[in-house]
Amino acid sequence: MEEKLLTIGQAAEYLGVSLNTLRRWDESGKLVAIKKEGGTHRYYREDDLEIFSSDLTRFATEWIRNGVEFPGTFYCQTSSIFNAKLTKMQSALMQKPGFEELYSLIVLIAGEIGDNSFAHNLGKWPDTAGIFFGYDLEKRIIVLADRGLGILETLRQVRPKLPNHVEAVKVAFTEFVSGRAPEKRGNGLKLVREVVTDQPIDLFFISGDAEVRMKGQNKVFRVTRGQHIVRGCLAKIEF
Amino acid sequence: MKLQIEKFGKTLISRELGREAFKAFQPTLRDLPKNEDLEIDFSGVLTLSPSWADEFLSPLFDQLDDKLIILPSDNLSVRATLKILEEVNKRPFKIRPQS
Repeated sequence: MEEKLLTIGQAAEYLGVSLNTLRRWDESGKLVAIKKEGGTHRYYREDDLEIFSSDLTRFATEWIRNGVEFPGTFYCQTSSIFNAKLTKMQSALMQKPGFEELYSLIVLIAGEIGDNSFAHNLGKWPDTAGIFFGYDLEKRIIVLADRGLGILETLRQVRPKLPNHVEAVKVAFTEFVSGRAPEKRGNGLKLVREVVTDQPIDLFFISGDAEVRMKGQNKVFRVTRGQHIVRGCLAKIEF
Repeated sequence: MKLQIEKFGKTLISRELGREAFKAFQPTLRDLPKNEDLEIDFSGVLTLSPSWADEFLSPLFDQLDDKLIILPSDNLSVRATLKILEEVNKRPFKIRPQS
């Protein structure tokens, strides 16, 4: 039996992108369309679209590195949209065997990182407002990203002498910033670090060229300098 | 007086909404008799984040001091958040022992 093909319009709706984006992706080879013999119309297999849209880390990385568009289903323009999607994820996670208690710490980590993006960039987004928020509970992965100011620039408002991204990320994850200061990012990320250290949850976090990798058993918090500089922040949570 | 935090929502994440909740609670707090404790009950809350709690509980703690009583909770996010807030505020919350 011949597999049912989606038209370019249906595929655009499925992925939440424009027709032009799909044409561009086809031409660049990023998401190649099917053309019926002799025809010029573009068609797509639903399975291919599903596989394409499952690579959350790639979408988030390409967006914050190069501003590449991603499927609209992962976009949260405002904090209230993010909160609604997070609550939906929470309901699904609570039903997952083995996560009856742990769900609240996973939601805490994702919520804290996502809310930081909005709290620290409100009215200051350098280009695109809002965040990338995608998850796949089968694969046990959550990805968040923003094209905001990043931790260094945000923390410099209260610690003007911070020399680089690595030091800024270290401060954000380890020190309490004074409660009287306008910038309170450190408190939540400190708890994120503690929870990730103690629980079967892995975290990969980047801001600027600073990278945090906390993975496997005996996790140690360390900030290293990566090869790329990204706009804003990206977090990958695996559990 | 007992305050059911669940009335502000079951998923308490955003710093902004924590601030709103604190403001919304102020008129009720004014009616609290001088000698009465305020008991904070987290039952029904699914996730509590340190940002929300820092905007709501930290200033309440400043206002009420030892008249603020926390009722015990089994929720992992509530417990982790209360622990970090104790570090932020450099003093422990008064937690009512389970009867």
